[in-house]
Amino acid sequence: MASHFSGVLQLTDLDDFITPSQECVKPVKVEKKRGKSVAKIKIEDDGSYFQVNQDGGLQKLEKAKITLNDCLACSGCITSAESVLITQQSHEELYRALEHNKQMGAPQKVVVVSVSPQSRASLAAHFNLSSSDTARRLTSFFKNLGVHHVFDTSFSRTFSLLESQKEFVERFSRQEQDRTALPMLTSACPGWICYAEKTHGDFVIPYISTTRSPQQVMGSLVKDYFASQQGLSPEQIYHVTVMPCYDKKLEASRPDFYISTSETREVDCVITSGEVLKMLEKEGVSLGDVDPAPLDTMFSSVSGDELLRHAGGGSGGYLQHVFTHAARELFGEEVKELTYKTLKNRDFQEVTLERDGAVLLRFALAYGFRNIQNLVQKLKRGKSPYHFVEVMACPSG
Amino acid sequence: MKDSLKLVTKFSGHPDSRCWYVAWNPNGTLLASSGGDRAIRIWGREGDAWVCKSVLQDGHQRTVRKVAWSPCGTYLASASFDATTCIWRKKEDDFESLTTLEGHENEVKCVAWAPSGSLLATCSRDKSVWVWEVDEEEEYECVSVVNSHTQDVKHVVWHPTQELLASASYDNAVKLYHEDDDDWVCLTTLEGHESTVWSLAFDQSGGRLASCSDDRTVRIWKEYRPGNEQGVVCNGTDPTWKCICTLSGYHTRTIYDISWCHLTGAIATACGDDAIRVFEEESSSDPHQPTFSLMGHVAKAHAQDVNCVAWNPKEAGLLASCSDDGEIGIWSYQSQA
Repeated sequence: MASHFSGVLQLTDLDDFITPSQECVKPVKVEKKRGKSVAKIKIEDDGSYFQVNQDGGLQKLEKAKITLNDCLACSGCITSAESVLITQQSHEELYRALEHNKQMGAPQKVVVVSVSPQSRASLAAHFNLSSSDTARRLTSFFKNLGVHHVFDTSFSRTFSLLESQKEFVERFSRQEQDRTALPMLTSACPGWICYAEKTHGDFVIPYISTTRSPQQVMGSLVKDYFASQQGLSPEQIYHVTVMPCYDKKLEASRPDFYISTSETREVDCVITSGEVLKMLEKEGVSLGDVDPAPLDTMFSSVSGDELLRHAGGGSGGYLQHVFTHAARELFGEEVKELTYKTLKNRDFQEVTLERDGAVLLRFALAYGFRNIQNLVQKLKRGKSPYHFVEVMACPSG
Repeated sequence: MKDSLKLVTKFSGHPDSRCWYVAWNPNGTLLASSGGDRAIRIWGREGDAWVCKSVLQDGHQRTVRKVAWSPCGTYLASASFDATTCIWRKKEDDFESLTTLEGHENEVKCVAWAPSGSLLATCSRDKSVWVWEVDEEEEYECVSVVNSHTQDVKHVVWHPTQELLASASYDNAVKLYHEDDDDWVCLTTLEGHESTVWSLAFDQSGGRLASCSDDRTVRIWKEYRPGNEQGVVCNGTDPTWKCICTLSGYHTRTIYDISWCHLTGAIATACGDDAIRVFEEESSSDPHQPTFSLMGHVAKAHAQDVNCVAWNPKEAGLLASCSDDGEIGIWSYQSQA
């Protein structure tokens, strides 16, 4: 089965079917039975495993279960085993949750869907609708299926951007004492994070921004703030995000975003824009035919009936926001428009703030595997001239 | 055919280890060898003897699989199973390590310089082919990572005059790449071999490419440009590479390497049956359907698998070989055609 993960993840052996579990560092925990040093195992015709006891009796062995979390801690074999993903995170799973609510009569879980602006934009383009119109129709579509609340992650993106700005100014001020304060590398792209952790580990991690991505800010808002407002506990909410990228599924299932006290994830399920299309197909409707519904206002960046937009690239606008903010905060310069200079290729661009011929700030966008490579190698050789780099795993961001 | 290929000398290149690869510098005076002992040795002729001029050690943690000289002869690149590629600079009689190119996920299998000397290609078991660019400050940057092959990539080689790259893989295919817009893309895939393609060699003009394989055959591919008189169909402005000759029945084991002499046109092969063979094109044969004949054959050229053969670029008929037995052979080929 073809993999949907970004190129970076595919390249790093994360979906290597050919050398299964060669490098698996997460052996499955086995409940050991005492007293036997040697055991015989018999495989039945149906593929189930039986342990042959000394008295000849057969005992069925537990099947090993390897979750996506295990795979994330490993660069071995099964990350791309799509079955793992499909069972944990897919539109099928959302349907199951909704079906469960219906069958039980009274809702067991409050279902919240948070839609990313990138997904909204691509659906808007697909159906030739305006962005706000798309949001209203999506709200209606999800609510007809039994979803209770539909939010927009532009709101949490604001949080994430503000936090990034603050973090950058703080890092900039301690660059003299801390060699790893700069460059600050963005953390919003899970494909890049997964790659960085696995292949460069301790070296790169200190440079990576500690700011949560919009998806995970949303996760925390929904399961914490929103839950308490509604008088619910976190596990009573089933939180689904609609994201442009498959790798976001990996991010949502990281242990960092698991609320252990209530045994729930901040984001229970991530579905891609493509999966929303599949859902529309399954329901036999075009988004254009869905009657618009009013937007949920509690969390969305709604002013009147229109959604607010952020400036900057489709990859989150981190560079633009942090640059403008840093120019103002650190150097008292009001930057109205950023001039991007294309370097080696169009996925590697640079923005500088200069005064009297001296470069005050040097920011870059590095998209795609080859540019990430060059960035990391420059960092390793101490030759990176940048203060901030917006890093995305996919070419074009 | 008798005695057309004569042994000049044989010496232990990488004692107690395998010798994986040998490469002549562009003016044919030095031979670089690499081996399982993680070392690279530079050999030069002194009278009738071949002596070790320098040993390049401590650059790699594992086997050095292949080495390549830059077209100017000043730099040497080494590809290693430790996932890195080292660049060495010749300084008088010695070599210093200039930089290490990291990025491949695992074993780097081959490295090759483009004719301009400003581009370098590497390939790996991680199935990718990388193109690197070197600037005036001797800084190397990755310009492209191409994931076209579905398996381990064994070999990369550049066209002798153009920026056209070819690769051979465990997926039985040969692929050709060129730069398109600001990235490198696979231009075409040459299918025909029934098992791993181990090595490739362009002829002097670059209009033909020879490939050798675990299927025990050599295939010769020829470039046909759009509008060719032979009516070979081309896709748009891209040329088509067509297999015009298959040499089968000569080799009894895997053919690990192939070298196409740019001075004489003779093709040498290194085979897992311990033999070295030399083929020449019959002068009367149709260039679109050529006939190659076996003109030289040394059955027990080495005690074990022959890993590599390399024609000297300046001295016609001088051939170097190396083997799993750790030895390097120097041969003299006299055409009897």
